[in-house]
Parts: sequence; C-alpha cells; structure tokens
Amino acid sequence: MCPVRNVLYWLALLPGIAFAETSLHEQIDALIDTKAKDLPRAEIADDAEFFRRANLDFAGVIPSAEQTLAFLADQTPVKREQAIDALLAGPRYAQTMRERFHIHIMERRGDSEHWLTWLEKSFEANKPWDHMAREIVRADFRDEPNRGAAFFYSKRLEKYGTNPIDYPGVTRDVGRMFLGIDLQCAQCHDHLIIDDYKQQDFHGIFSAISKLQLLRDAEYPGVEEQLMTAKQEFASVFDGEPHEVGPKLPGLDEVDLATFDKGEEYQQSPDRKTKTPGVPKFSPLDEFSKQIANAPPFASNIVNRVWFLMMGRGLVMPMDNFHSQNPASHPALLDLLATEFKSHGYDFKWLFREMALTETYQRSSRLPNGVDRVPGDRFVVAIERRLSAEQLLWSTLRAVGVKPDDAPLENVDEKDDSEEFVGLKQRFVDALGNDPKSPEREFSPSLKAALFVMNDDEVLKLLRRDDALPAKLAVESDDAKVANALFLNIFSRAASEADRSDVAKHLSGFKGRRAEGIAEITWAMLAGTEFVVNH
Amino acid sequence: MSDQCTPSEHTFSRRQILGSLAGAAGISGLGGLLQPVVANEIAKNDKQVLFVWLDGAISQLESWDPKPNTRFGGPFRSIPTAIPGYHVSELMPRLAKLTNCLTIVRNMHTQDNSHSGGVPRILRGDPANRGVEYPYFGSAVAKLMGSGESGLPPYVWIKPGSGGFMPKNAGFLGPKFGALAFGDGKPPENFTRPDFLTKERDELRQQLRQRLSDRYATRRRKTANEAQSFVYDMAQKLMARTDLFDTTKLPQRDLDRYGRTELGQHMLVARNMLEAGVRFVQVTSYGWDTHGDHFNGSASLIPKFDMALASILEDLRERGMLDNVLVVAMSEFGRTPRINGHHGRDHYPEAWSLAMAGAGVVPGAVIGETDKEGVNVNSPQGYDIGNVFHTWYHALGIDSRREEFYNADQPLPIAHHEMHPIKEALA
Repeated sequence: MCPVRNVLYWLALLPGIAFAETSLHEQIDALIDTKAKDLPRAEIADDAEFFRRANLDFAGVIPSAEQTLAFLADQTPVKREQAIDALLAGPRYAQTMRERFHIHIMERRGDSEHWLTWLEKSFEANKPWDHMAREIVRADFRDEPNRGAAFFYSKRLEKYGTNPIDYPGVTRDVGRMFLGIDLQCAQCHDHLIIDDYKQQDFHGIFSAISKLQLLRDAEYPGVEEQLMTAKQEFASVFDGEPHEVGPKLPGLDEVDLATFDKGEEYQQSPDRKTKTPGVPKFSPLDEFSKQIANAPPFASNIVNRVWFLMMGRGLVMPMDNFHSQNPASHPALLDLLATEFKSHGYDFKWLFREMALTETYQRSSRLPNGVDRVPGDRFVVAIERRLSAEQLLWSTLRAVGVKPDDAPLENVDEKDDSEEFVGLKQRFVDALGNDPKSPEREFSPSLKAALFVMNDDEVLKLLRRDDALPAKLAVESDDAKVANALFLNIFSRAASEADRSDVAKHLSGFKGRRAEGIAEITWAMLAGTEFVVNH
Repeated sequence: MSDQCTPSEHTFSRRQILGSLAGAAGISGLGGLLQPVVANEIAKNDKQVLFVWLDGAISQLESWDPKPNTRFGGPFRSIPTAIPGYHVSELMPRLAKLTNCLTIVRNMHTQDNSHSGGVPRILRGDPANRGVEYPYFGSAVAKLMGSGESGLPPYVWIKPGSGGFMPKNAGFLGPKFGALAFGDGKPPENFTRPDFLTKERDELRQQLRQRLSDRYATRRRKTANEAQSFVYDMAQKLMARTDLFDTTKLPQRDLDRYGRTELGQHMLVARNMLEAGVRFVQVTSYGWDTHGDHFNGSASLIPKFDMALASILEDLRERGMLDNVLVVAMSEFGRTPRINGHHGRDHYPEAWSLAMAGAGVVPGAVIGETDKEGVNVNSPQGYDIGNVFHTWYHALGIDSRREEFYNADQPLPIAHHEMHPIKEALA
C-alpha cells in the first residue's frame, strides 16, 4: 500500500545509513503493511471516528458535543497529532490509565484507595513501567508513597471461605502480568504442551511468593516476607524425583540464599505486640524487583498489552502465552516495540503517542468495499473494542449531560463521593464488568447487561431528568435539529439522512410528548452497538 | 418397551425415521432421500435436559436400592415396581409405577465424600485435573448445544433462595455459559419493565435500537452487533415469558399432582421452561443431608420428590417429550448403610444410585447392584461420574470421545478421557 515508506523503513535498518529519524509510528506502519501484503485495507477513519476513539482511549469518555464540533471544524493539517498531545496532557489521562490498568492488572478482584491512588499518581508522573513493576513486585510497606502497589499481592492473598491462601494463583499472576507467561500448568510438572514452561520456573517464583503474609492491622494493603532459610522443594507428579530451587525468575539465574546467624536474620524484627512487621535482611522480593525488568519477555509483555489496549488484539495471543512455539503475528514489530520502549525508558506517554499516530491505529473499523471478512491479526481494519463499565458510565453521563447528583459534569470527574454517584458507579460495574478474576478482553455482551440497560431505574431516571439532554431538546420543534444534536452528543458524529429520518419517524408517534420520545431515542442509541464499543 | 412408556403416536420420533430409512436405503443416502423439512428436523438437535439435584444427598437405601430386613436396612419396606423383580422403597409409590420409563444405576462408585468437594466434582464430571475449572454439566450443555430455536437462556436453574446470574458454574468456558437462576421462582434483577414504559413503547425503542445498530454494522465485521443483538433478543424473549416462572399462576390441578411443596412448584416451573424450549433446566432441592433423624427426614422428603418427579415424568411422556428430554435425578453421593448414633446416615460415595429417563437412555433398565447390605457395589468397580457424563452426552447426540472444549487454544476432552459410557444405559 505504501511502497515508499516501506523502502524507507528497510533502508533505515541497514547499518550506516542515516535514517535514524524514521519515527516509531512510521516503522510500525511499514511492518504492518509488509505483512498485510495485498489484503485490502480499511480507509483512514474520518475525523469523528478518530476523535471518539482517541478520547475513549486517553480520556476514558466520549468527547462532548462542543469538543467534537471544534475538532471537526479545525482546519489544521496536524490536528490529529495536536488532539493526541492534548489528550495525553489532559486532566483525565491519569485517571483513565488508572482505570484501564486497574481492570487489566486486578481483573475485578476489588478496589483499594491506596492502590488506585498509587496507579493514578504513577501515570500522572508518567512513571516508567519498569519502576512501576519494581514497586509492585517489591511491595515494600516502608516505602510510604508506593505502598499501595502491594495491593497486587495482598488482594490475591486474601482468604476466601475455607479455601487455602492462593499462593499458586499469585505466582501465576506474577508470571502473567509481568512476563506474559502462564505457569499454572507447570506447578505439578513441566508444562505438557508448552516446552518452554518448566516446573522450576513456577517454583522459582513460588519460593518467594509462598513466604508472603498479609499485614494484619494495617490501614493500607501490605505484605511481609517470612524468612527464607531453605530452597523450595518440588517434585514432578510423573517421576516423583525431588528437586529444589531458590528465588528465581524464568530465564534468569537463581538468587543465592543469604543466611544469617540466629537472631541476626532481620533488618527489622517482627514484633506482634507493637504490631511491627518484620523485614528480613535477605528479601527475595527485593531481588526479584531488581531483576524483573531483565527477565526476557518483560518489555515484550508490556508492549503487547499496550498494543492490545490500543488495537484490540495482542500481537501475541493469548497474551499470557509467550513462548517459542507461539510466535507473535508480527515478530519483528514486537521486537521493535520492545526495544524502542525500553530504550525510551519505558515511557508510556511516548509509546501511546507513537501508537496513536500510526495509520494502523487511525484506520476505520469499516470494512473496505466489497469485503466482508478480514483476519483480525493483520490489523488492516480497526477492531471494535470492548468499553469498560467505567468508560460506559462516563460516556453515558456525558452523552446525557447530567450526573445522578447535582455535581458539575464539566470534567466528568470521578472525585465525587455522593451516595447517588457511588451507587450508580457500582451498578454499572456490577452489570457491565466481568466477574472477579475474569479478564475483560473481548466485547462480550451479556443478558445481565442487557437487562440492566433496558430496565434499571437509576439509568432510565437519568434520561428523564428535566436538565438532561432529551428534556432540553424537547423545546426544539425541528426534528432534523433534534436528530443532529442527538447524534453529535451520543454518537459523537454528524447525523446521516437516514438517521434524521428515523428520528423524525419515531417522534411522529410522540405528539405532545416530545421529551418522552426523545428520551426513548436516546435510550435506543445508548443501548446500540455503535455506542457500546470503541470502533 | 412397555406400553406405559411409549411416546404418543403423533410425536416425531427421530429413531423411527432413521430406522425405517436405514433399512431401505442405507444411512449414507439419508440427506438426499428425506424431504427438506424432515432433514432439518434431524439436523437440528432439539434435545433438552431436566436435571433434578437433591442437594446434601438422598439415601439410596430409602429410594432406588432398599435393603429391607437387613442390618442397615432401616424401618421402611420395599414395594414392587413396574419392572418385575425390582423393588424400590415404599416412600416412592408413584415412581415405582414408572420404573419402566427409567434407567436406574445402582452401582455408582465415586471419589469424594465431602459436600464442598463432592458437589462441584460430580457436577463437573470429575475430569482429570488439567489445572482448569471444568464447567458444570448445565454450562457444558449450554456451550455445546446453545439456546436452540427458543432463543431463551440455555441454562436455567430453579432453586430455593436467591437467584441471579451464576457465572461460576461455567468454569473456564466463561460467564456467558453460567446459569440464570430463578430463586423461589423470582426473576433476576432488572427483569421487569419500568412502570412508565408500556409494552408497545418498549418494542418501539427496541426496534429503533436494532435499526440504528444494524445500520452501524453494515460494512463492519458482523460479530459485535450480532452478539449485542443476541442478548437483547434473549432479554426480550425472557421478559415476554414471565408466565414461565410465576409460581402464583401455576394451575391448581397440577399443583395437587406435583405437590404443594417447594419442589413440586419448582418442578412445574421446570415443565413450563422445558415446554418453552429451554435447553437445560436444573431444579435443586436442598436439605437432604440427614446426618440426624434420617428416617423421619426421609419420610418427609422422599414422598415430595416422588410426587414431583413422577408428575413431570408423566407429563413429559404424555406430551411426547420424553424422546427429547433427558431427565436425571441425583445427588453428590449416597448415604452410609451404617446408621450413626443420631439415627442418621452419613456421606457415602462408595455405593449409591441415580435415576435417568428419556432421550434414548434405555427405559426400564436397572443397572448394577450392591451387595446384601448395600455396602459395596457388586460389579467390579461400579461406575464413576465420568461414565455417567459420557452416557449423558451420548444420549444428547454428542460424541463425548471426539467433541472438545477449548481453553484458550488448548483442546480439552468434554468428559473424562479414560472413561466410557455406561453401555447398558444406551440403546
């Protein structure tokens, strides 16, 4: 499709030729293009589709009607780049990333103010990913500004009923979230299907994780490490032969156990009376935290996940299955992203920006003419992505122009702790979020969600308020103008002729009850496929 | 097959058609030979399941495998049944008359004697441990067979207590194959249309939603809009059928037959659901864990079960539905022959019974037996739940040796890979 760019890219890879200026987004497009060969590509998305998509990605909410109008009217050639920069610098960026990474990392297990604050502050400061990972893996309760990161462990270590504490589950998630490897099936033997996953890999992580205990009596999420005085023993269920391993991350060397004389093991001795948790001199978590970014798939794993967040599908799928028999759809691209992200100091904003500038990101979700199916793993047509319960809540409020209480809407700010608002947010998450421990990856509508949108009192009440969009539009007698406003506010685009005709037809049945009619059109749009995906 | 268990004449019997044509022209030519409408009838698998779960565990000795006048026999007598020579407990007089419709397995021998372990283990068919949580039978059927033509939720669970969406039952298949539970016949949350909205206006707004969504989806991939439309259709179909689970509207005459009990009512709701085409209906009855005062407990519980199950079997048979509906009645294990110090029976996975009917399991078969006091199964090792799962899948027209689930990309057998169906139960 773009032969010139292709050539430039390949030239850039030749040593000694000074094409170092070729930006990452151009290189991404070149690699996607090469692989796509002669597959038909979708057109570049129109301004409205692009603007809605970028707002949902970086501000977590659809744009307001005013923002959309201004963007559509803007004649600047580089307005997309400007819009991306504004969103990345915008007031909702950190909160949005907090929401997205919270769902991604905690998988709806639960919330903690400390954790959420740590996430948000990290994105606010554009903290490098290796630092974030280190803080999560270290989980040091003495590190006050970052202690919220321990929630990654502490929530997973909670006891449920009479079940034993799920140390294997935590071990698995360390591998999944930071290295893209799911070692669950390597606990009792080497993985039967995936040659790369060894039982030793599981137990190397498990050795440290199984020493963790929840901090009791703390007002923040926290764990303390028990002394590790011996290696972790394990045996395969197949041959029963005993093995042992100390703290060890997959692909890296085992950490030597440091031993101390009795009474000398602690930096800070645990004291149950004063409720002082212990800090061993030898801390496997400390070792892990220093090493985690060196474990082979660390950088590939995170760029794969960011690619998924932006493009709707990982380059490696499933995202927890990095191994040599499961190559990326675009191996060179994955390597490029990993290398570049690392050499840019794991700078999220830089990576998001580069990805958002690609043609790949900016393609339409509309299929090319005459085509009715295209493979998802070639990225030639934008993939419709699931919106989280949070994105849907904010977008619904912005579309309708009200909040459940009377708090101001301008920034659809979530720092609102009124009972009505917190209650509504919870209802959205209950109905539209996944169940705990179930990753939210695909668009997967449910009966529960449909019933919620159809019949939930609180949601429907919003549409019928005096200060909401339908009531405000009811004074407008021109059906076409009503339609234009509805489509701009809710679908973030101009209405088509067919849209206007549908609106007029629907309103003809609501003579004298215009607000009701408009409220029902509003509902039909909010429940519609166009609204509930990022397309 | 005895007269009493013959499906009514007018019902379309898949096996009859297949049988007669197979004789004439051979199975391979079938597709070309049949009228299109008949071919569709065969292609479409409309089998259904009624799964009656007696939680806590019914005693085999007070039901399908009585041992009167033995050391552990207990106080109840046994009575003859429709099958000559086979007796059941006197607490089941109506089911006794229907044994010629049933397949009874008396040599169940399973692995877990705790409720917390046994219930999920049995409901998942106890497959080999592959590090993933297998789906309950209802979720598995929902996944393998779907909603069918009814468009209603494929896995409905009628139970006492609370209801709602039960995603956990689906295990690794994912929440959408979980159960939709009607607790005490009450619908899940957000089930009723808001007061201000009439049915007609609701339809109007739904039509508009669909029209706008379809327009959005032209020139886009089909999947997102199809999935979204599917759940809205299902929600509307279900809301239009509140009659299906409204226990206040159950017919009085039927209530007398089914029993004016919780289980009787719920079984009637189940009949409504099956008639409406729901793929898998589970009815749960709680309170069967009679460690103390077991005999009074059984005298109260089992006749309720007898009335409810016998009534629905009679109705399914009369409506010609037994050809299509697989009926199962069972618990997580049986109860000990030994009677404890509290006049109770404890948990006993070693030798217990379950009952099945319909969908091609052999009517009137009594499979396996236990020794004189009911302590051990007499056949070499009895049947484990894995055998039973294979049997059910076969009865439902699913090849349990070949069909596979996929967990991410990993293929997994749908039933225990080292087990086989109970061949005496399958024609």
